[in-house]
Amino acid sequence: MSTQPRKLDAKEPLDLLQGTLDLLILRTLIFGSQHGQGVARAIQQTSEQELLVEHGALYPALQRLEERGWISAKWGTSTSNRKARFYSLTPAGRKQLVTETTKWQRLSAAIARVLGPQTTDQ
Amino acid sequence: MFRRKRKSSDFRAEIEAHIELERDRLIQQGRSPEDAQAAARRAFGNVLQTEERFYESGRWQWWDNLRQDVRFGIRMLVRNPGFTVTVILTLALSIGANTAIFSLVNALLLKSLPYSHPERLAAIYGKTTGTDAYNMRRSIDGEQWELLRDGVPSLLSAVSAGITSGVNLQSGSHAQYLHAARVSAHYFDVLALHPLLGRNFSEDEDRPHGPKTVVLSYATWRTAFNANPQIIGQAALLKGEPYTIIGVLPEHATTPLNADIYIALQPSREGEGGGTNFEAIMRLRDSATWQQADAQINSAWSRSQYALRHTGDHLTYYLVPLQKGQTDSLQAPMLAVMLAAGFILLIACANLAGLTLVRMLRRTTEIATRVSLGASPWQVQRQLWIENLILAVLGGLVGIGAGALALRALLLLLPQNFLPVADVSLDVRVLTFTLALALLTSFFFGMLPALITRKIDLRSAIASRGIVGGGAVRLRQFLIAGEVALTVVLLAAAGLLIRTLVHLETLSPGFNSNGVLAAKASLDDVRYHDPAAFRKLLSQSVAAMRQIPGVQNAGVGLTLPYERALIDGATLSEGKQAGQEVSTDTIYVTPGYFETLQIPVLAGRSFTDADGPDATKVVIVNRAFARLYFNTEDPVGRYLTDDAKRARLIVGVVENTVGSSAGGLTDDHAPLTSDQTIYVPAAQVASGEFLTVIHAWFQPSWIVRTESSMESVGAAMQNAMAGVDPNLPFSGFYSMNDLMAETLAIQRLEVALLVTMASLALLLSAVGIFALVANIVLQKKREIGIRMALGSTIGQAMVQVARSGVIASLLGVAIGLLLAAIALPAIRSALFGVGVYDIPTITVIVATLLLVTLLAATLPTLKIATIDPATTLREE
Repeated sequence: MSTQPRKLDAKEPLDLLQGTLDLLILRTLIFGSQHGQGVARAIQQTSEQELLVEHGALYPALQRLEERGWISAKWGTSTSNRKARFYSLTPAGRKQLVTETTKWQRLSAAIARVLGPQTTDQ
Repeated sequence: MFRRKRKSSDFRAEIEAHIELERDRLIQQGRSPEDAQAAARRAFGNVLQTEERFYESGRWQWWDNLRQDVRFGIRMLVRNPGFTVTVILTLALSIGANTAIFSLVNALLLKSLPYSHPERLAAIYGKTTGTDAYNMRRSIDGEQWELLRDGVPSLLSAVSAGITSGVNLQSGSHAQYLHAARVSAHYFDVLALHPLLGRNFSEDEDRPHGPKTVVLSYATWRTAFNANPQIIGQAALLKGEPYTIIGVLPEHATTPLNADIYIALQPSREGEGGGTNFEAIMRLRDSATWQQADAQINSAWSRSQYALRHTGDHLTYYLVPLQKGQTDSLQAPMLAVMLAAGFILLIACANLAGLTLVRMLRRTTEIATRVSLGASPWQVQRQLWIENLILAVLGGLVGIGAGALALRALLLLLPQNFLPVADVSLDVRVLTFTLALALLTSFFFGMLPALITRKIDLRSAIASRGIVGGGAVRLRQFLIAGEVALTVVLLAAAGLLIRTLVHLETLSPGFNSNGVLAAKASLDDVRYHDPAAFRKLLSQSVAAMRQIPGVQNAGVGLTLPYERALIDGATLSEGKQAGQEVSTDTIYVTPGYFETLQIPVLAGRSFTDADGPDATKVVIVNRAFARLYFNTEDPVGRYLTDDAKRARLIVGVVENTVGSSAGGLTDDHAPLTSDQTIYVPAAQVASGEFLTVIHAWFQPSWIVRTESSMESVGAAMQNAMAGVDPNLPFSGFYSMNDLMAETLAIQRLEVALLVTMASLALLLSAVGIFALVANIVLQKKREIGIRMALGSTIGQAMVQVARSGVIASLLGVAIGLLLAAIALPAIRSALFGVGVYDIPTITVIVATLLLVTLLAATLPTLKIATIDPATTLREE
């Protein structure tokens, strides 16, 4: 007897973590094309090591963004002369980044408003 | 969209690249290569899981899931071989039955006729209104044909002689008997058949006394003329005269007449054209409409003598598609049988629904576990539907095989050339039908369990050790009542048809059909138009046949019992009905005809050699004729006047013999009847013209009574004939029982089909009842154990359990009898010698069902004897 793994449906509303990772990837790529390891490093560095991205989680996310047409990818050579797959932002991805950023800012502001008084009360 | 954009190998390469880049970075930071490699992997996390997630996001996932579901489904089905085999066999039988029947329906009623633009082909029907209203295909007479040909510009019309006849083809020293059709000019044009060689009949060749011409079928051209390409314009010695071969039809070209050769009909208002002896076919011309054509026909024929004779009938003519015209008589029986096949499918569905329902309930634990492990309702449903689909497809495939076998058996049952189509095959339409049927069935039998499982309550399902559903028993009882009801209807229909067939086959034939060998020869031959030559042939050949060792008697008759006879006029010259002209079957016979067939002479005498051409003109009538026209008086010694206006002395009365009513006017005639018949001595047929006309329609039969083997006597008969005329071949030899079987072919077919269906229905119902009770035994094992521990006997427990099956079946019988009472009058027209509400039939059916029910309900309860109360209690 086996259970079926739940299918990942592209139309399903993304949970917060996934949405956040997508946003961070798009944001990182605004500075130019980058391979997956570079994206991971950049997120870690720019978040001053606060955000620890499990590298493995990055690739399905990259794949998803690629399938949605927000980023495009092609194989190239890294500065250290290794073959790597480079991602760059598409115009649609750029637009998505603006939307997502706005949404995220509204969301975090709202959460901050909710959480703010409660934390001071305690 | 079904192609994954990116291969998983590409994804894996990317991950590898990532880990190497990360390792490079860590080495740069001063860590050892081994340490760096490990750290890079650690930072990445689970590579396998990442790859899996990538894989799942792919668009082929539905395919993977499907494959997984199918694999799992097959495993589940293999693990329950009893269930699987029952379901597949049930499906195979029901779908097979439907496939076979539908192939016939397809070939007969659905497939287009094999001609160009078959939808523009038509046959002529006539409808009368009033008390004796009927509606049927019409034959037309010579005048109507001329009016049709010249007065209906909307149609291209042609006629043929209503029946194909036999003719002799002489090639060298070899003579052969061929089936010939006589057709008018444009007959092949109406069918849009273009000759392979030569041309079709011209209008000139179709005029009375026009040139004698013939068109060969492809097969005849090959076999009788060695496929000679220079054959056109040569003469063929047909009917003792040279006929010019003007055309050869292409291979696979068929006509509604399906003859070996075609001769110009040369129709006129005289001779056979004086009666409605022609069958018309027509093609609608390009610019015309059916309404125009109907109107033109009615207006053209309103001036005919036929219309004037039938003014009281309010006869209107109309055109119907030729397809329908050709298969009209088969339509009702085919649809009835198709309906019966549909019943089988419904019964099978009810059974399968019951079976899958039980299986589903027994799988409640499994399903509950899956749901609690996170399977969505959709996933559970999908799994169940896929299992149903697998069963449906397997059942459908086996069903196609069963159907193909059944169809072959069915076609073997039919006499040759019985069906008006060249072949019946499992074509694309039939296969599509079968596939659709299999899917539909799986939908029907899958729907019920699917609806039930939606209501499964997880907690109670797990707690109750996986057996749920007292309500399901009630539901299954209704299903079984339904299938038993349909079975009753099928059994009743089959029973009535069996009674009909038995009635017809055991009808007193009026003669001794055993030990008679018959053969036909064609006298549609210029050598025998002269009555003297005809007389000489008959007397010499009969005398020669009487010399054959083992032959007790021999004779010749224009037609035999079981055959359609010539209908001719006779005038009663005495009694209160004197001067009245009546229609009667008329048969010329030689002395020895009655003795050979052993038809009893009831009064007066039989014919003798003394009843020659110059002696007193005599006639023998049958009992039906004597009774109708002479009532209780003795007809012997009275006179009647034959069609040639000659008075004939009635010298004898013979027993009625059964004849075919295929020539009867309406459909509700029994296939076998005892019509009024008069017999005249063959030697006293004085008109060459009369001989010519009747021999164009009928081929007389030579009969011998013998106790020797049919084969050796057949050869000896041919030899005896060759001694008199070496160029007169026989058509083939057959017994009177063969003749009866051929006459009753439709009845036999109906019985064979319905009996098969009814047995199938009975079998399925029995399986259904058996499964119900067996399942209850299984479900109630604990309850029964407790009851027995408390003092109940095995017998009481058995009765208690079997009751549910018996009650369901009884309810079904009651509903079925009601349904039968409503539905069966529809087959009244197929019944002879038995009423629709036939008490013996109903009694037998009810008794059969009770017996089967008791068996099916008791057998599974025998298992109760093996229940040990102690064990069951311990399990509690």
